[in-house]
Amino acid sequence: MREYLLMMVSAALVNNVILARFLGLCSFLGVTTRVDTALGMGVATTFVITVSSMADWAVETWLLEPHGLLYLRTVTFILVIAAAVQFTEMTVRKLSPALFQMLGIYLPLITTNCAVLGVALLLVEGRMSFLNSVLFAFFSSLGYSLVMVIFAGLRERLALADAPRLFAGPPLAFITASLLALAFMGFSGISA
Amino acid sequence: MNAAEDPGILSQGSLEGVARVVAVQGDQVWVEPEQGGSCGGCASAANCGSKGIGTLASRLEGRRFFLEREDGDGLGELRVGERLVITFGEQSVSAVALLAYGLPLVGALSAAVFTQELAGRDGYTLLAAIAGLGLGFALMKIVAGRLKARGRLTPRVVRRLSSAAILSSGH
Repeated sequence: MREYLLMMVSAALVNNVILARFLGLCSFLGVTTRVDTALGMGVATTFVITVSSMADWAVETWLLEPHGLLYLRTVTFILVIAAAVQFTEMTVRKLSPALFQMLGIYLPLITTNCAVLGVALLLVEGRMSFLNSVLFAFFSSLGYSLVMVIFAGLRERLALADAPRLFAGPPLAFITASLLALAFMGFSGISA
Repeated sequence: MNAAEDPGILSQGSLEGVARVVAVQGDQVWVEPEQGGSCGGCASAANCGSKGIGTLASRLEGRRFFLEREDGDGLGELRVGERLVITFGEQSVSAVALLAYGLPLVGALSAAVFTQELAGRDGYTLLAAIAGLGLGFALMKIVAGRLKARGRLTPRVVRRLSSAAILSSGH
């Protein structure tokens, strides 16, 4: 249990996908105008990262490594992630078209973004067991969702602030993001 | 879309999204959600005209759905290319995302942890995770069906965007 707790702190806070590894920055700035949408995007990305990590672990362990095809890792992972995203969309659409409609109107399409690929590459580098890989991916994406929600909350408040005209909008968002990254640097003092 | 046109930013109550009318067939209006990917590059790629399998454009096309016009909805005659603001009422997007993605994920993780404790082998754990994922999706279907029966997942047109906002599609 302690091992999983340490993994959670390490993956979600110390090595946060967005603020420590600087992955997934496009969705970090693009989908954080409202807390509700940011949380929805966070949940969707969490699902995609975790499910692709399962598929990537299987491909790495049972296909690439035994056959000496590790040089194909990046290309293969991109294909696997794209297939996982397509599969998820098709499944949700087939099982509940109404749910799919609603998600479609509010959430952007998730493609093979750098956060998903980055986490998949990190976990195979770590040579973990299947469960540890999946939990590492899950905790990493929890960290991603956490930062998305915090940043969206800050931006919702900043939208109402009386900011100088030159700072309003993206400049203020960048400054806020840098301050948030500085705050998260504090976690790097935790030896996990 | 700039911030001033984004109804999701402006509205303080229920969340709203923008969709573009792609076809009008009697009382049925076919619309396509306007968002592209989560970044500007993905959004522009969706409009570049390449529509192969798996491209963003083809996936946006797959997200099309129709709305039933109602008597006295005050929208007047709708044209192809027009942009509509659509809402799903009080239903929050995070709750729906948790239902669609959270339930299957919880199913997969629970099954994986449980099987790892029991069997301790990666192959079995992977199979259990897939089974848990399937169970989660089945549960999601049941809950979504109940929500739909209560009318909680029905889209509604709030208003049409100004004529200046109509995309330059020749209409």
